[in-house]
Amino acid sequence: MAPTDTTSLQKGSAELLVLATLDGRPRHGYEMAQLIEARSDGRLRFQAATLYPLLYKLEKRGLVQGTWVEKAGERRRRFYKLTAEGKRVLRDRRKLWREFVEALDRVAAVRNA
Amino acid sequence: MDWRAHVRRHLPTLDIDAARETDVIEELALQLEAAYERALVGGATEAEARASAEAEVPDWNDLAVAVVRAERPVAARVLPALRPRADAPAAGGPSDGRLLADLAQDLRFAVRAFLRAPRFTVPAVVALALGIGATAAIFGVVRAVLLTPLPYAEPERVVGIWESHAARNRPRNVVAAANFLAWTERSRSFSAIGLVGPARATMVFGEEPQEVAGLAASSAVFPALGVQAALGRVYTAEEDLRGNDAVMVISHEFWQSRFGGRADVLGTPIVSNGVPRQIIGVMPPGFTVAGEKGDFLAPYGWTVEQLRAAPGRGSSYAVARLADGVSFAQAEDEMRAIASDLEREFPQRNAGWSVALVPLHEQMVEGVRPALVVLALAVAAVLLIACVNVANLLLARSTVREREMAMRTALGARRGRLVRQMLAESLVLAAAGATAGLALAWAIHRGLLVFVAGRVPVPRLDQIAMDVPVLGFTAALAVATGVTFGFIPALLASRTPISALRDGGRHGGGPRARRALATLVAIEVALSLVLLTGAGLLITSFVRLQNIDPGFRAEGLLTARVSLPGVRYDEAATTAFYADLIERVSALPGVESAAGVTFLPLAGPGMATSFYRLDRPAPADGEAPTTHVRPVTPGFFRTMGIALNAGRDLTPADRDGAPVVAVVSETLARRHLGTIDAVGHRLHVNIGRPGGMDVQVVGVVSDVAIASLDADHGFTVYLPHAQLPINLLTLVIRTAMEPTALTPSVATALRQLDPLLPLADVRTMDEVVGRTLSRQEVVAVLLAAFSALALVLASLGVYGVMAYSVAQRTQEFGVRIALGATPRSVVSMVLAQGLRPVVAGVVVGLGAAVALTRFLESQLYETPVLDPWTFGGTAALLTVVSLAASYVPARRGTRIAPVQALRSE
Repeated sequence: MAPTDTTSLQKGSAELLVLATLDGRPRHGYEMAQLIEARSDGRLRFQAATLYPLLYKLEKRGLVQGTWVEKAGERRRRFYKLTAEGKRVLRDRRKLWREFVEALDRVAAVRNA
Repeated sequence: MDWRAHVRRHLPTLDIDAARETDVIEELALQLEAAYERALVGGATEAEARASAEAEVPDWNDLAVAVVRAERPVAARVLPALRPRADAPAAGGPSDGRLLADLAQDLRFAVRAFLRAPRFTVPAVVALALGIGATAAIFGVVRAVLLTPLPYAEPERVVGIWESHAARNRPRNVVAAANFLAWTERSRSFSAIGLVGPARATMVFGEEPQEVAGLAASSAVFPALGVQAALGRVYTAEEDLRGNDAVMVISHEFWQSRFGGRADVLGTPIVSNGVPRQIIGVMPPGFTVAGEKGDFLAPYGWTVEQLRAAPGRGSSYAVARLADGVSFAQAEDEMRAIASDLEREFPQRNAGWSVALVPLHEQMVEGVRPALVVLALAVAAVLLIACVNVANLLLARSTVREREMAMRTALGARRGRLVRQMLAESLVLAAAGATAGLALAWAIHRGLLVFVAGRVPVPRLDQIAMDVPVLGFTAALAVATGVTFGFIPALLASRTPISALRDGGRHGGGPRARRALATLVAIEVALSLVLLTGAGLLITSFVRLQNIDPGFRAEGLLTARVSLPGVRYDEAATTAFYADLIERVSALPGVESAAGVTFLPLAGPGMATSFYRLDRPAPADGEAPTTHVRPVTPGFFRTMGIALNAGRDLTPADRDGAPVVAVVSETLARRHLGTIDAVGHRLHVNIGRPGGMDVQVVGVVSDVAIASLDADHGFTVYLPHAQLPINLLTLVIRTAMEPTALTPSVATALRQLDPLLPLADVRTMDEVVGRTLSRQEVVAVLLAAFSALALVLASLGVYGVMAYSVAQRTQEFGVRIALGATPRSVVSMVLAQGLRPVVAGVVVGLGAAVALTRFLESQLYETPVLDPWTFGGTAALLTVVSLAASYVPARRGTRIAPVQALRSE
């Protein structure tokens, strides 16, 4: 594999997390933040101030698509879903990260330290 | 709680599509709300839940930058240095449609930004409303009174013609009838020349006699003014003459109020001063002769022989229309030449006399113009102060917004766009100020009418209206002020360096902004000082006027005028009637004494004539001194409280047929007879029968203010009314009661004697005296009100700037106090710094006041225009008020605990 630029990995990690929460079904912003916090046992937290600019950027790049949805008895919320392009990028990123973590483990034994 | 409002309040304006921005705000609000509710469900208190929601956005500015970057990825990546120059037209720049959309967005942003900052918006709008409101109201007055042309045909061709006597300081004197006749016969400059003067007539409506104020006018007055009757006709030259003169034209207003606007009023007979006349015409609404209203116009009813032989100068002046092709200067030359001919031909009447021509509009407004100009300048200053105040507030706010502006610059907003945004904000502010100002102008305008009407005879006061021109003026004013006070802060703010982003935006207010703020404060203080000084001088002058001793005791005196129609009362009947009336009034319960005088002191024009000592050679024509002449009844001096210094009072024995006697004023006795004890001296007084009469002085009384309080009290000769029986007398009645309580019983006494006579002009002497001061009172009160407004605005300005500056420097104070400075020393330091622009403003203002108060000179009585007490007092007042306005924020700024101040870094 080609050597991975770690700077872009760091930047990409937040994108990966956001894209991953949308894998399977559309969610609204707060739900995504909750999901990230729950799955990481509270270790990872996305504040609104971080999450939304990121979502808007992904939307501009065509990876996610936001739609206002109104359900009876509820306030309208903006649900985001992965676009086809988003799904492809998510697949690529997952692969990239898997390779990166394995490489990391081989060098620094991060998994069993 | 309303999280959407919370987001709107905190999130800086985003330079993105407005609909998109709304989406962003809503989404953020949903998230904060969800976090808040979750915390509540998890058992947090209300405050904890709020804090945890607020923790979602640690820094709103950072969030805004991030959102705009996400939304406008390309713009964000272009470094400011690489972008084209801000003012260079961008390739593919915004089309007109885009411009309109931008403008709408600018205005929307502005409204939202203001709603978000009530502490800024409310004082700014109030200041503007006060400035614009006062200015619009005064403009309404200036327009109606000074600027609107007279409602005559070609009004600029109408002139007033007066006689003048330079040596006696009479620039405009009423005209001798014989001279008027000569003018009409000899002049070629006018297409019409008429005579007009005040007239009063007693008319009886039903059972009720009423005195009506109108005008005596010759028929040529109508073509001279170029007016026609709105109904019926005006009278002709034939009807000017005795025998044909039983006609009358009435005013539209009189027609409405007395005749119910009936069309069949034409031909109605009406008895006026005992003479039957027929109403032949109704004038157009609002008709005046140079601002003088009259409920009727009637011919003089003269014969040419009478005119030629008429002694003295009556109470009329001439109005004339310049003939085609004749200029004002040509007419003036011709009239001067005619006057010098007349002086040569009739030296006894005309020695020293010439003529004065004046455009009729000028004649009407020149009396009120100085006061109106002073008031207009005063409101202009108030408006300027209001603008400075708002500029101050905008500037202070813009330094706080430096970071926002810098961020938007960094994100690609062009400088022109930012300037436009800030101008839009000023315009929105000005529009709000103008709306509130108009409401205020309306209120001021109503109050002004109530306050001025009845105090000062301002021509056309009733025509003042908040009409379209005034509204237009207000709108123009709002736009002009908006651009003026918005422009400088906008330029300053848009030039903010990017470094504002780096230091966290908390430092704000660079030295340039602080200097600008200080300069604005100095300007405000200087303007206020000029206004306060002017008001101070007028008030000082007014107080001095009020303290003038008029020479009589005004309190406890009731006055009322009774005129007798000449057709029913000859001289003997007049004397008998007035003696009878005074006797009856004196016997009324509550009356201490009663007497009469033909022309009440301080109540308007009276009689004056020339005189000389009989023990000296008669002076040449026109060289004799002049004196006021007042026919009075016995007991007049005692009733008025005028001191008798020598000799005796007039008595009922000084009647027709007895030797003619006089009482003279102290100054006349001293200056002309060489002694206060002038009893026994003989004078020739040019009054009464043709050639005048010789009188013997039997008494000397203290000087009395006859014409006005501030004029030289001058010479007065009092003659027994019975020896100069004029069919006009004003009763003076002294009582220990409230004077007006006597009115019904006096009216009854008059009715018992003659049921057809009205009791006219019933007033207390206090009112009469007060009325002479009302012009000064009105100007002083209005200027005082405007300068109080200026003082309030200026102190608000000082307060605002200090509060802003203290807020900016809270951390510095914290550090100082932490390092051992006492709060007191910090307050002193802040006050000292805050006072610097105030002191500068006071110095500049004093200089400006020295230059400007001389325009008030004509309005001041015994008050030097550089009165040191007034100057010193207002400077001190302004300094103390500014100090107080600085103290409050200074104190608050240092009361904050040092730790707290430091933590906010």
